[in-house]
Amino acid sequence: MPTSPVRGFRIGRASTAVKRFFPGEDDEDAPKWSPAVRTQVYPPPSTARFIPGTAVPTPSSRPVPAEQSTAQSLDVKTVNPPLETPQHQQPEHHLPTAATPAKPSLQQALHLRDSATSANSPQVSSGELYEIVSQVGEGTFGKVYKARNSLNGLHVALKRIRMETEKDGFPVTAMREIKLLQSLRNDNVVQLYEMMVSNGMHLSSLRSAYMVFEYMDHDLTGILAQTQFQFTDAHLKSFCRQMLAGLAYLHRKGVVHRDIKGSNILVNNRGELKLADFGLARFYQKRRKSDYTNRVITLWYRPPELLFGATVYGPEVDMWSAGCIMLELFTKKPIFQGNDELHQLEFIFKILGTPTVEQWPSVVNLPWYELVKPKEFMPSHFRDFFKKWLSPAGLDLAEQLLAYDPQKRISALDAMRTPYFLTEEPPEARPVDLATLEGEWHELETKRERAKKRRRTEEGKMTQ
Amino acid sequence: MATDFWSSSHHKRWIVDRATLKQARSDDLQYVENTEQLDFLNIYFGNLIVKLGQRLQIRQRVIATAAVFFRRFYIKNSYCDTDPFIVIAACCYVAAKAEEQPIHIKAVVSEARQLFGQEEYGGKHFPSDNSKLAEMEFYLVGDLECDLTVFHPYRTLTTLCGKEPGHAMPGAEAGEVVGVGVDDGPRYWGTGEGKLVLEEGALQMAWFIINDTYRSELCLLYPPHLIAIAALYLTLILHPKTRAAVQGAGSSTRRSARQSRPPQDFVEWLAGLRVSHTLVTTVVQEIVSLYSLWDRFREDAPGEGDSGSARGVFARGASAGTKRTRETGSSIEDGVVTPASLSRLLFDMRRMRMEDLAHPPSGRPLAVNKMLERTQASG
Repeated sequence: MPTSPVRGFRIGRASTAVKRFFPGEDDEDAPKWSPAVRTQVYPPPSTARFIPGTAVPTPSSRPVPAEQSTAQSLDVKTVNPPLETPQHQQPEHHLPTAATPAKPSLQQALHLRDSATSANSPQVSSGELYEIVSQVGEGTFGKVYKARNSLNGLHVALKRIRMETEKDGFPVTAMREIKLLQSLRNDNVVQLYEMMVSNGMHLSSLRSAYMVFEYMDHDLTGILAQTQFQFTDAHLKSFCRQMLAGLAYLHRKGVVHRDIKGSNILVNNRGELKLADFGLARFYQKRRKSDYTNRVITLWYRPPELLFGATVYGPEVDMWSAGCIMLELFTKKPIFQGNDELHQLEFIFKILGTPTVEQWPSVVNLPWYELVKPKEFMPSHFRDFFKKWLSPAGLDLAEQLLAYDPQKRISALDAMRTPYFLTEEPPEARPVDLATLEGEWHELETKRERAKKRRRTEEGKMTQ
Repeated sequence: MATDFWSSSHHKRWIVDRATLKQARSDDLQYVENTEQLDFLNIYFGNLIVKLGQRLQIRQRVIATAAVFFRRFYIKNSYCDTDPFIVIAACCYVAAKAEEQPIHIKAVVSEARQLFGQEEYGGKHFPSDNSKLAEMEFYLVGDLECDLTVFHPYRTLTTLCGKEPGHAMPGAEAGEVVGVGVDDGPRYWGTGEGKLVLEEGALQMAWFIINDTYRSELCLLYPPHLIAIAALYLTLILHPKTRAAVQGAGSSTRRSARQSRPPQDFVEWLAGLRVSHTLVTTVVQEIVSLYSLWDRFREDAPGEGDSGSARGVFARGASAGTKRTRETGSSIEDGVVTPASLSRLLFDMRRMRMEDLAHPPSGRPLAVNKMLERTQASG
């Protein structure tokens, strides 16, 4: 039986805030806030933490930048346990000290400090670990920042889990995302390095948790909107395959993403594509199909069965979204831009034609079929619309991804084995020159500008 | 969870050794007379988690996860420095979320208030404010280092016995949200093929034994598959019919057994598992000593909280020789403890801790005459 070589030595210390949560009677006069923002870093920056067994990074074809090797050397330090068990802490050391009140300013809140939790790595036990560079996005349940690790200079993405607005404590969606991401590791899924908890004692605005991700320079929506860098068909094929590879991995692991869309697909300067934002994702049963919420997936990428009210569904819903993304790669804009559920269906019918019972036998059983069924027959204009953008094999694949009947919709794994990837020219090529692109696609203003625009155009658009 | 055990944080970081546990209890040890009292507290807390869980109507698996969270939290914290009651409530609340069976925070607060307000738990004041529990939850998640995926022996048990999870098992994993049947990695108990065919009653007993192990720190010391196998081992001995079958298999000749459909050779099956049987034996020993300790633990309302436990079966077997008279309100010296006496013990630990902290560290007063103090405290 394999046993961990570091049994018993990996557990850090208690959070100091716990001690303050249970103050002694004498502590009543003590300040009700923490002297500074105490942050626990679990563990020190490490690329191998959450996916154990991979302390040695998997060899990949991509060039490893110098920065990354720094992270790896840090790793080595952290996995070496100290020779003694950590000294048991004396509680006196953790009683609140009188200090000037911490102002709950954003800047301070974000200067996260590493604390005693990483008892096994004294070399990183003090100092601010991450410095916020800018805000780069808005996740399902909090803001996303670009930050710099002050130890190795590496950039990371910090996703803040909002706690102050949550009456019910730690959001269950965040918990789900953390659990999911901790169990996933794939080249095409964004990697969660670690979790950080920041304790603002009795000051709920300071209390927050951060998910620390690898930093990705762009998202698909952003990078398709820019005009500086022209993607070739080979590049787009690579994006498409990487997206499918990520989905194939998720589905093999029993995870449905349920929010595939451009802004949740991240791209870095090495041309690598990764799926992100698992705020709506969940495990599903392969054998038993259970009832899930119908209100998932951003409207434009939502498959027809959900628009017909289905609550029993599986990974096929992601494949429809993938079909939308594939077309969007070529056309540079979302293809079905409905304003509401009905309008969304009309949009789909206009392009793909109305679904027939022969094509999709089970459609008549869906909850809202009678309400939203097409009034009149429409033929498919799919090939006419897209033949100027896509190659024949590409069109074949997109059509299979956008099959009305979820049962007939192609799986991610099968999609990767279609002629589009295997035989048709040109072979895929990762856009490695992306590094030459002026890096404006993650900067605050651009993102905000885009978000503003998106808000305007998506007025009335429903998420979740 | 869809990741396999060997690559999980459970295996990598949350299986600890005895020295670590001893270290974790070193502060508490100053305020009790012997380590046995701490073991009793383990049962006491385990019972409370089950009771609160039953009030909240959460599944056994969620209760088990709550218990693991509680044990993990107290690797880093001391009973005397904290309020274990609110920690228990927070553990149940977090476990319910982590296992995808969320319950409302208000429900947790009100049930916890009712349960802990009972006299036998010292009429504890439990904060009625939801935000207190939410705050505790936050610290709990922090000290758990956001490792919210816990593996339990139940899964090994059902798989070893060839049952679909959720099939006819009490409080089983029906509607489990983990990716059952998905890519699970290699079977993490490290064995190849082979199923153990047990009758329903025996399987249930093994299940109950596993429930009982959460009244100790076993879940921190051993991987779940070893606990499952130890529970099966005990079942083979304790379950009357199954035991008869084991003994029968030993005496009957192999040849006759082979003729028709051979009854399964349980011993051979156990031996065929690729696990360390020395470790399994150790776990068995630990479970046995848990039961003998538990035998001296008297719930004030007899039988309550014993549902879903194999304790009764075990006690019947164990107490055949030794008959013990039951004395309510008896103190620890009689070898019998009650929830009330442990509540008092906890209260005293906390109080003495506070006194010590008030007179720091130059000459930490050793609590010499604790017996006297306790007598005075109880009036």
